[in-house]
Amino acid sequence: MNKRLFFIFLLGAVLLSGCWSKKELTDLALVAGLGIEKNEEGKYVGTIQVVNPGNVAEGQQGGGSGQGPPVSVYSATGDNIIEASRELSTKVSRRLYYAHTNLVVIDEQLAREEGITKILDAMDRDPEFRVTTTVIIAHGVKAGDIMKALTPIDKIPSSKIIKTLKFTEESWGEHLNVNIKEVINALTSSGKEPLITGFHLIGDHDEAKKMESIQQTAPAATIQTNGLAVFKEGKLIGWIHGEAAKGSVWILDRIKRTNVTINWKEEKGAISYQVMRQKTNISARMQDGQPIITVEVRAEGDIGEVIVPIDLTDPHVFLEIEKGAEEEIKKEIEQAVQEAKEYKSDVFGFGEAVRRLDPDAWETLKAEWDDRHFPELQVEVKVDAFVRRSGLRNKSFLSQTEENR
Amino acid sequence: MLGFFKKRQKKKANGLNDKRHPEIDWLNTIDASLSINLEIIKEKTGNSPDVIIRELSMGLNDSVRTAIVYIEGMVDDQSIKDFLIESLMKNQNLQEKVTQQEPLGLLKKKAVPFGDVVTGREWDQLFSSLMAGEALIFIDGTAEVLIIDTRGGEKRAIEEPSSQVVVRGPRDGFTEDIRTNISLVRRRIRNPSLWVEPMKIGQTTKTEVAIMYINDVANEKVVKEVRRRLKQINVDSILESGYVEQLIEDQTFTTFPTLYHTERPDAVAGNLMEGRVAIFVDGTPFVLLAPAVFIQFFQSVEDYYTRFDLATALRFLRILIFFISLIAPAAYVAATTFHQEMIPTQLLITVAAQREAVPFPSFIEALLMEITFEILREAGIRMPRAVGSAISIVGAIVIGQAAVQAGIVSPAMVIIVSITAIASFATPSYSVAISARLIRFLFMVAAATFGFYGIILGIIMLTVHLCSLRSFGVPYMSPLAPFTLVNNSDTIIRAPWWAFWQRPRLISGENTVREGSRQKPRPPMNREMVSRSNEKGDSNE
Amino acid sequence: MEKAKISAYQLFVLVLLFELGSALILPLAIGAKQDAWLAILLGMIGGGGIFLMYDRLFRFYPDILPTEYVQKIIGKTLGRILAFFYLLYFAYIAARIMRDFGVMLVTFAYPDTPLFIINALLVIVVVYTVHKGVEVLARSGELLFVLIVVVAVAGFILVLVSGLIDPSNLKPVLEERISSVLKVTLTETLYFPFGETVVFAMLLPYLNHPFKARKIGLLAIGLSGVILASVMAINISVLGVSLTSRSQFPLLTTIQMIQVAEFLERLDIFFMLTLVVAGFFKISILLYAVVTGTANLFQIENPSRLAYPIGLVILILSVTIASNFAEHLQEGLQLVPVFLHIPFQIVIPLFLLTLAFLKTKRKQGQ
Repeated sequence: MNKRLFFIFLLGAVLLSGCWSKKELTDLALVAGLGIEKNEEGKYVGTIQVVNPGNVAEGQQGGGSGQGPPVSVYSATGDNIIEASRELSTKVSRRLYYAHTNLVVIDEQLAREEGITKILDAMDRDPEFRVTTTVIIAHGVKAGDIMKALTPIDKIPSSKIIKTLKFTEESWGEHLNVNIKEVINALTSSGKEPLITGFHLIGDHDEAKKMESIQQTAPAATIQTNGLAVFKEGKLIGWIHGEAAKGSVWILDRIKRTNVTINWKEEKGAISYQVMRQKTNISARMQDGQPIITVEVRAEGDIGEVIVPIDLTDPHVFLEIEKGAEEEIKKEIEQAVQEAKEYKSDVFGFGEAVRRLDPDAWETLKAEWDDRHFPELQVEVKVDAFVRRSGLRNKSFLSQTEENR
Repeated sequence: MLGFFKKRQKKKANGLNDKRHPEIDWLNTIDASLSINLEIIKEKTGNSPDVIIRELSMGLNDSVRTAIVYIEGMVDDQSIKDFLIESLMKNQNLQEKVTQQEPLGLLKKKAVPFGDVVTGREWDQLFSSLMAGEALIFIDGTAEVLIIDTRGGEKRAIEEPSSQVVVRGPRDGFTEDIRTNISLVRRRIRNPSLWVEPMKIGQTTKTEVAIMYINDVANEKVVKEVRRRLKQINVDSILESGYVEQLIEDQTFTTFPTLYHTERPDAVAGNLMEGRVAIFVDGTPFVLLAPAVFIQFFQSVEDYYTRFDLATALRFLRILIFFISLIAPAAYVAATTFHQEMIPTQLLITVAAQREAVPFPSFIEALLMEITFEILREAGIRMPRAVGSAISIVGAIVIGQAAVQAGIVSPAMVIIVSITAIASFATPSYSVAISARLIRFLFMVAAATFGFYGIILGIIMLTVHLCSLRSFGVPYMSPLAPFTLVNNSDTIIRAPWWAFWQRPRLISGENTVREGSRQKPRPPMNREMVSRSNEKGDSNE
Repeated sequence: MEKAKISAYQLFVLVLLFELGSALILPLAIGAKQDAWLAILLGMIGGGGIFLMYDRLFRFYPDILPTEYVQKIIGKTLGRILAFFYLLYFAYIAARIMRDFGVMLVTFAYPDTPLFIINALLVIVVVYTVHKGVEVLARSGELLFVLIVVVAVAGFILVLVSGLIDPSNLKPVLEERISSVLKVTLTETLYFPFGETVVFAMLLPYLNHPFKARKIGLLAIGLSGVILASVMAINISVLGVSLTSRSQFPLLTTIQMIQVAEFLERLDIFFMLTLVVAGFFKISILLYAVVTGTANLFQIENPSRLAYPIGLVILILSVTIASNFAEHLQEGLQLVPVFLHIPFQIVIPLFLLTLAFLKTKRKQGQ
């Protein structure tokens, strides 16, 4: 019996002295996004977006929904990220909570001058921070300004940015949703460099901070994707846009659905080929001691739009459309490779492929890969495109109007 | 105050001693004189008015004085009046034959139209028969008494059991009368191997208790052990089977029941067939079953009446329900005070918005609501039916509306408490539901101090505790742990009836075979059962 | 020796839980880079061999505890001293494992809670279990094993559904020659976790069918090896070699990557706690071995009482064996295998086995 009492006593003592790691919801400031830039003095400026839960969740009493802004933005400076974050606590009434920080915005200038390597360790190490946090670059705008801009529909600007990125990657394919883990893996790998999506802010930066901005049909400023940032040795060295950007996403096998515009005879942009499914393989082989990379794409899709009178009941027409699509995709990919070669940055991980093929050869190639071997690398592109369906109609009504004429 | 209690305890103890050591030795056997005997009865029963002494005289010239003694209400009034008194008083033929010599034998042979008639001469036996509702016939000059089984009296009719309701299944439930109860089971198992062993427990109450088992199915060791434990009971009163349960269970310091109790005769019959032993206690409709295993409390008799697939799904649901009623509030507390990172962002913001205005920490909030709910529940059970509905209205308004509107608790908390409450009502066995109710608070404390770590340690501890329990030597968690594959056809899953080959090995005795082989229905593949005339037009073949 | 029996299935579950216990959470065999899985499988084969040695010893003395047969083989005094050192070894391993789990909990979820408190809570539960005896331990193992299997299967499905697995991370196979893989096997995986089955020598006498020990043991070691190897392969294919080697607890980092339907995110806490269950069994088995061994060595009547003081010793050891986690890991990877694992897991049992063999030979000769 005494033992039992002792046991209960011990348990009680331990339990009562507990509560160390307890954090009540009302004592937490949920940080939705983090912006990092550098000021003139060379110190880091951290800008955080703190969610005002009462203003986000509709229909709750006690919050006064819709009254105030959904987020509040604070910034502070420090010699490193953690210091800046700690200094923020002088301004925020609650404990900063980073476990729901889904977005990190890095300033373009910072990325160009100093590189992104130094700022990622804090996020990699901290147990609160998610490894799946999305990373973007503020393109042509201060990271702080992106953080401060309010957005309609998705009230929390950070989640608006993430959702935009996610859906544009899925349906357009010019941008990449990369997270901290992927960036760090690319930075640490000897044969790969990261590609990070850029965002810019179109419109009046000061108006974007006010609630009036989102109370109009056309907000004062809109946050929009803008290009893919190319890195080399951790520093931003340039941007790729448009078709080259799409080509990069093709090579990285990240295209989910996209649109390929095909020319028909003389008519430009006559047919829209909608990719529904694709698979890209990168393989390497050695020839005369030199690596050769083969990019193989296999795409499947439907026809989305036809503005020339062609007969889609004819399988031969399908074959021709397929050929057009193949050429178009190949062009995009080759353009992407070309631009990457110009930047001398192996953003596609061709080096990794070589390493996997022949680790010994890679040892000798590694040192000068980006500067010497990659720009001269022979890349073969093979595309197989298949048109599966043509939507609800076969022939376009255009061919009927043509006949009537 | 303390002194007062001490005194009372002493008095109680004295009272008990009196009963245990009767000082009057000369009363052991009855006297030949009728008047002395009747005097003794009057004295011993304190002249209670419900002890009826009906004196009459028989024989030629009323030479033989006799007396019928019985207790009003305990006996079947009808048979006393219509048969006993009638046959003794009106039978002229008999009247004349009765003489001073051998009147008892004559009465027994010729006069008393009852099934169970014995003679006795010891006061102990006579009083216990009298108290059980039997009638005594004293005859002047004979130091022997006829004991006539006239037990009866007012009893509740067989009704539908209120604590274990089924949709499909028999509607009869046990009553407070032990003889009715035993007969309800015997009607279901018409086999001479169904053995009943009566005994009387309770020094003062002399409550009738009976052990029932199927002779060649039940494990002899368990039967012996049940008998031993029952015989060891030495208390003054047994008023309900709960008394017996707490006096014979293996482990007292646990919230889990190690004996199963039921109001349903079909449940008792089924368990007897599995080799268990039933313990009937007079005065209560709840029959005990031993040995009990944990999984039994998640089974309802209806599982065996419905189809097996549905029954299996329901059993999974019940396990889920049990876990919800155990840890739902604890998980809420842990998630909102320790592990906010695992709540999806959008949900967290919604919950945070609700909590914004709530002045209490999550744990206090949960505790408040849980206690409020427990109070309401207790009030709802104990109050008269008419007031009960009023309480539920007040409760609904207090919990559901006012508390949320006043910003005292968050709506999410109300949802959690409601789910927990419904879950605890849905557990098929009340005794496990209430133990979950108690442990739930421990889990909440564990969650409030160490979050999910506290909860998982609690779960480990609970599992270890459950595994350490035994019920009449059978591990409580069997056949899950120790795992017996062949008996798992009736645990969390309920296999089809044709797959119940064996009785639970650890519970039943040697005779484990339960059904013949090839019990799976094998309908003929062709259509020979369809009459030719109807076959026309059916082109499905 | 306690009057108790465990079934073959229970032994299987206990060996499996023991092997998975702490090996699942650590970057096991990451020295072999993407070939870690190979090093684990090789270690498993070696571990099976080591277990056969323990089993052979057990067959010589199927009814008594090792602490007793050691005395029979090498003499009373010497045997007692050796047995005592074995008990110390088990206690030290238990403390090491407790440290691993304590640090994991502190790092991932309870940064402000002292390590001592976290470990103390675990010790309370462990002591309670050991106090109840080996049968209860085995039965609880059977039940909680189901929980672990359910969570593990769920985790595997979630990782698969999230599309995180990139098998190309596992290529090239044998980038750094077979010799480096063998080196990792011989310095690490052979002893941790596989050689640690030496503690089951203390549990084998409880088995209800002694002849099943070999089959069950090998089966459990084989299965645990396959599980560990595939978990490590999944870790590397999800995280890549560099992140896996940088992670203190790679499995949890893998779990953190899961994002399904924007709802199932950051599930690491659940998996961490499931791992705590496995670790609980590992520590409990070790503590039980120490307790029952001590009771046997010093002829103490009521062994379950010893659980309290020995549990306390392990608790204090777990906090004091290293001043920081890096030191703890360094000890575990470099010092412990050479100075503790090799002698206690291989050299001494081999020596004992030879002696026992010679003794029985001589007896037969007579």
